[in-house]
Amino acid sequence: MLAVHEFVRLVPGRNAVAAVRAPSHPRRRRPPKYGALALLRHGLSGRPWPRAWADQPLRDSYDVVIIGGGVHGLAAAYYLAVNHGITDVAVLDKGYIGSGGSGRNTAILRSNYLTPEGVRFYDRSMQLYRTLAADLDYNVMFSRRGHLTLAHNDSSLRTMRWRAEVNQMQGIDSEVIDPAEIKRLVPYLDTSAETRYPILGALYHPPGGIIRHDAVVWGYARAAAAQGVHIHSGTEVTGIDTDGGKVRGVRTTKGDIATPVVLNATAGWSTLVAAMAGVRLPIQTFPLQAAVTEPVRPFLHAVVVSGTLHVYVSQTDRGELVFGASVDPFASYSTRGTLEFAEGLATHVIELMPALSKVRLLRQWSGLCDMTPDFSPIMGGTPVEGFYVDVGWGTYGFKAGPVSGEAMARCIADGRAPEIIEAFGLGRFGAGELVGEKGAAAVGH
Amino acid sequence: MILIPCPWCGPRDAGEFHYSGETTPRPDAASATPAQWRDYLYFPANPRGEVTETWYHRMGCRQFFVLQRDTDTNESIPPGRPQ
Amino acid sequence: MRLGPQPGEEIDRKRPFSFRWNGDSVPAFDGDTIASALAASGLRVFSRSYKYHRPRGLLTANFHDPGCFFQVGDEPNVRGAHRLAEPAMDVRAQNTWPSLGFDVKAVNQLAGRFLGPGFYYKTFIKPQRLWPLYERVLQRFVHAGQVSPDTPRTAVDKRFAHPDVLVAGGGPAGMAAAVAAAQAGARVMLVEEEYRLGGHLRWGGEADLAALAELRDQVAATPGIEVLTNAVVAGRYDGNWTAVVRRDLPGGAEQLIKARAKVLVVAPGLIERPYVFAGNDVPGVMLSTAVRRLIGLHAVKPGERAVVLTANADGDAAVADLVQAGVDVARVLDARAGQGIVRVRGHGVGQHRGVRAVEAADGTTTECDLLVTATGWTAPAALLSMAGDRPAYDPRAARFFPRHLPDDVLATGGIAGDGSHEELIAHAGAVGREAARRAARIRRERQAAVPTRAQANGAERSGDDAGPTAIPELPVDAHPELFRASTHGIVDFCEDVSSKDIFSAVREGYDSIELAKRYTTATMGPTQGKIELVNAIAAAAEATGQSIGETGTTTWRPPYAPVTLGALAGRPLEPVRYSPMQPWHEAHHARPLIAGAWIRPDHYGDPAAEVRNVRSKVGIIDVTPIGKLDLRGPDVPRLLNLVYVNKWSKLGLGRVRYGVMCAEDGVVFDDGVTGRLGPEHYLMSTTSSGAAAVWEWLENVLQTMHPDWAVHVTPVTTAYASMNVAGPASRDLLLRVTEDVDLANEAFGYMEVRTGRIAGVDGCVLWRIGFTGELSYELHVPAGYGLHVWETLMDRGADLGVAPFGVEAQRILRLEKGHLIVGQDTDGLTRGFSAGLDWAIKLDKDDFLGKPELAWQHDAAPGMQLVGLQPEDGSVVPPEASQIVDGPRIAGRITSSRMSPTLGRSICLGQVSASLAAPGTLVTVRLPGGRLIGARVTEHLAHVDPEGSRMRV
Repeated sequence: MLAVHEFVRLVPGRNAVAAVRAPSHPRRRRPPKYGALALLRHGLSGRPWPRAWADQPLRDSYDVVIIGGGVHGLAAAYYLAVNHGITDVAVLDKGYIGSGGSGRNTAILRSNYLTPEGVRFYDRSMQLYRTLAADLDYNVMFSRRGHLTLAHNDSSLRTMRWRAEVNQMQGIDSEVIDPAEIKRLVPYLDTSAETRYPILGALYHPPGGIIRHDAVVWGYARAAAAQGVHIHSGTEVTGIDTDGGKVRGVRTTKGDIATPVVLNATAGWSTLVAAMAGVRLPIQTFPLQAAVTEPVRPFLHAVVVSGTLHVYVSQTDRGELVFGASVDPFASYSTRGTLEFAEGLATHVIELMPALSKVRLLRQWSGLCDMTPDFSPIMGGTPVEGFYVDVGWGTYGFKAGPVSGEAMARCIADGRAPEIIEAFGLGRFGAGELVGEKGAAAVGH
Repeated sequence: MILIPCPWCGPRDAGEFHYSGETTPRPDAASATPAQWRDYLYFPANPRGEVTETWYHRMGCRQFFVLQRDTDTNESIPPGRPQ
Repeated sequence: MRLGPQPGEEIDRKRPFSFRWNGDSVPAFDGDTIASALAASGLRVFSRSYKYHRPRGLLTANFHDPGCFFQVGDEPNVRGAHRLAEPAMDVRAQNTWPSLGFDVKAVNQLAGRFLGPGFYYKTFIKPQRLWPLYERVLQRFVHAGQVSPDTPRTAVDKRFAHPDVLVAGGGPAGMAAAVAAAQAGARVMLVEEEYRLGGHLRWGGEADLAALAELRDQVAATPGIEVLTNAVVAGRYDGNWTAVVRRDLPGGAEQLIKARAKVLVVAPGLIERPYVFAGNDVPGVMLSTAVRRLIGLHAVKPGERAVVLTANADGDAAVADLVQAGVDVARVLDARAGQGIVRVRGHGVGQHRGVRAVEAADGTTTECDLLVTATGWTAPAALLSMAGDRPAYDPRAARFFPRHLPDDVLATGGIAGDGSHEELIAHAGAVGREAARRAARIRRERQAAVPTRAQANGAERSGDDAGPTAIPELPVDAHPELFRASTHGIVDFCEDVSSKDIFSAVREGYDSIELAKRYTTATMGPTQGKIELVNAIAAAAEATGQSIGETGTTTWRPPYAPVTLGALAGRPLEPVRYSPMQPWHEAHHARPLIAGAWIRPDHYGDPAAEVRNVRSKVGIIDVTPIGKLDLRGPDVPRLLNLVYVNKWSKLGLGRVRYGVMCAEDGVVFDDGVTGRLGPEHYLMSTTSSGAAAVWEWLENVLQTMHPDWAVHVTPVTTAYASMNVAGPASRDLLLRVTEDVDLANEAFGYMEVRTGRIAGVDGCVLWRIGFTGELSYELHVPAGYGLHVWETLMDRGADLGVAPFGVEAQRILRLEKGHLIVGQDTDGLTRGFSAGLDWAIKLDKDDFLGKPELAWQHDAAPGMQLVGLQPEDGSVVPPEASQIVDGPRIAGRITSSRMSPTLGRSICLGQVSASLAAPGTLVTVRLPGGRLIGARVTEHLAHVDPEGSRMRV
């Protein structure tokens, strides 16, 4: 528990926030170490492994309550503890942790965005992902594969060049390559001129790759719990109490919690949660589907995305091909999936790689996405003091988990949005100042 | 896909239609403040449950109509009632 | 070993053949599956498991058998215990190196105690740079078939079906339900996964075979039932939209049938579940249905000496079948009497691995080469779950049952309950009748929802006044809850996950069934959870101390059975659009450009020459893809005023005006010209890619905002072939072919429109607009005569130097004139005032779409501006999208860029920050690669003839 609380009120405006000050020298605790030696020890002795994160009783008050136990919420909890010494934190999820978007995405990581702010933001996430396994002592299996965004017409090629230019100016490894080079990287791709939508070129981003999404959630959970963060699964928030424009607490299915700070890190249900605090968000919920095939011998090393064909594909180390496309054509809270998604996907995948006709689809699923008017997230404070949001993540939220957690932790600790997320404030919509990633978001993966 | 009850053509596969979004009353453009206008442009209700929305029967009678649908079950409420 | 003839056998001994297994020849009969033929020839070890590379034999001898994934030719992961063998088939084992018999990766088994579940999460963490190496090793272990790069692309047409009743499952219940539904007047589709109808009756005793024959005869004799065998209902989606996949096409191809079933009857039977104990994956451990199938359908002796663990009547029947097949049944352990097994001991290595003995719970050990288990059934509830059901576990019956189904889904057969054959048939019959009744009601409701049909047909005869059919209740037999013996064994055979792994996962905190599943990957393999899910739930329940009901189940997701991408894709159907002049373009070697759905001529060999020809003589371009909308009615001017940013109330007869459309947020989304052909008749043009969107936009405005306005909109994009005749000699050319239109400049000026006869064709529209900046006429000719008019112009203009020009030349010409292209010089956020369109935006108009935001943009500090740019070095053509930089900051980009043949130097359009937009400003352009050059902002957007005098002659 913290000894000192300070509440800082900013100049009145849309983003009034409250801040919780931390003691000046946070002590970092590490979970019991993993590694090959540990594997050997446990194997020889037969001793069971300790719990990855403890099952704690729900307290009746916390300094910070985070709603949403996905990568964003857990990363925020972790960085609150490790960067700011704020450990009296509860992460609540109505299901099991990682049951939302974090467990349903296709786990593609990249930083080759269109705008300078976008590039800076996602590249910081990539930096964190690169060292995440060592930082969390949990192998998150970040596999650097090379990421290709195919262009099938000159308008698209122009956008690829735009992105390449912006990327290179920021020092990101990103370039436009021609069909011959694409074929060398992905031999199974049909780069001939005879296809319906011939490939004219691609944006090639060597540092891009894939990761084991569940492992990222578990790694953050384990490391955060080791710092004293409480993780409560199966705990649904049913109400948020405010008084005089300030957060006072949350009500859950397992009991009520008094708290001055609440972070909304849900996706899909973000407007429902925000409404509990009396905050409106410019978000509409759309399902996003994905699918996986049976394992086949590894043949695809790179991640391949086609904006024109609205499809992307990668192959896991287990041999499964993972596919995704765009959001469903109408808003819904359903995760039941559609046949049209599977059909459209198969049509376009075979267009790109005709040799895959006999590979079988094993499983399709769906998650819910927060779609915003400018294909960019909403991060920072809200008109309700102490109520923060990290929402609006559309189809590109997983890759931003670490940097968002880091930034929201700083935002909560300092009481104001750090520079890296200033452009993403809720107030921009009322001001008519939308963010520029709309150009890059054909199929945002 | 789900069936959309077109008031003129009856229940048809959703693939024949273009989803036009939530039906929100358009403020008077001449007198709306920026806040009101942008509220109309950018802030949908996004309910989990009954929503009022507009569909366009693109591959059919090419009429716009208003529908009430449950965003959880995707069923129209009540099934087939034309507006 | 092959047995003598069996009463229900499905092999045809008069049709023997052979196929290849790992290069060796194997004999088979017509009707053998690959696995049954291999088993008949004595094979016991069929594959190696994923993680530990343990030898595996037959377990279930059906589609779900985890030990029977084979490569057949270029087809990976073929289910060998389902797929029928064929002459000359080339079958190979998957994922064994160097061979099935000797597999170096089997050394994994020794390391087993160290390689617990999720071991990879706990290691390979440092040093991180070695992770790619570790990955390559892990990839070598992938348990799967190969995708050949030369796999031919399939093109199987999909099919639509509209059955009243779709029955998923062709066992006795499915057949009875189908017959009853058809007899009640429904159109029925009956889908069965196996090659023949019959389900478990097929390998049953005499009475079963007799009942089977009777049911098959009934199905054949009842009209209105479409039977699909070797087909599966792969998915049920909202509104009973179902995916039915036929697997009986040659070469492993499949067909997707999309069926909007009014009512779905789910009758999938039950899937037998393996028992979990030490050694449960040793070759020679089989389920009771496996041995009964091998004996009854394929006349294969499954072993020499057997021990049977039975907990139900099917296990008992298996004992009888084994005895009848000459197998020495050394011991029968009855779980209902409290007997059980502890472990199986195996012997031999690799190819020769097999069961040696069974240790019973009473301490005795029996030597044998075959252990048969019959420990329970799993309800294949996937389709029900897809329909929104969350099945409930009944501990007394030791399985899950349907709980709450929507109105258009019914369940029958083993999934709904137990009982005698007669009871199950009676239940299924009642369900079939009820399904037909509900389907009829749904049909009436849907027809009533179509106003015209309801009026025409009046009230339909209602046939269900009797009310819902009474469906008898099925008894539910008690069954011992047998999931795991006292030892740990394999739960997921494909993923090599043991019950011990699940216990470990739970202990480590991955304690909900979902977390345990994801951490261990149990149920995530190719068998999709069918034979392993309940054992996984039971293990998790045991480990957490909760009941199975409390533990719950994971969500079943489509597809129910794996479906090829080829079936889902169907035949590639990607139509393209050509103008009527396309044959001429091809004959003249036009290089094609794919522009969305259209194929257009990009150029005819030398775009720069085409540009010069337009500026000096006359050129013609095919612009048919331009969107065209015919607008008629007294209120058209009001519509134009609303959708365009400029003023349209006073557009005179015969006049044309350029217009820009903005969305409600002020963002430019289309532009074009609109001309007035008559008092209440206008022709609007749009960009070719925006044609459909603008049409919908206009309809939206007219129907939802102003239904009171009288305007008719007719899309005529493809009704007219359009061509632009441009250049100083264009009037001369047109004079030769045009009748009843006065082409003199005084009579027909710039931005005016006329209709007349061209090359003998009536009803042509001509308007003078200036995209290219030269004197030009855009002609819209009734499409059927497009080629004729084009050829006539080419012919009559030969001496004037007429030549075609393509899209590339047009791009250069319009760039020379500073005309923007929406979507290229503007983007998704460009509002009107950033697009050099200040002159067009009339804020003193009443409401127009986009006005509020444009007004606020106008008042706010200026953002980006569209400007003309010329690089200081006229020989450098900056690639489009090159960034404009201001120190380290990005201040804009080049949006259009070409070498101008007219000026002999490079010209550009670009978006720049307002602070750099003043004419004469020198900006810095960063070329790809990093080189910086200077470019100057021009006075006008147009680089050539900014006053526009050449267009007005």
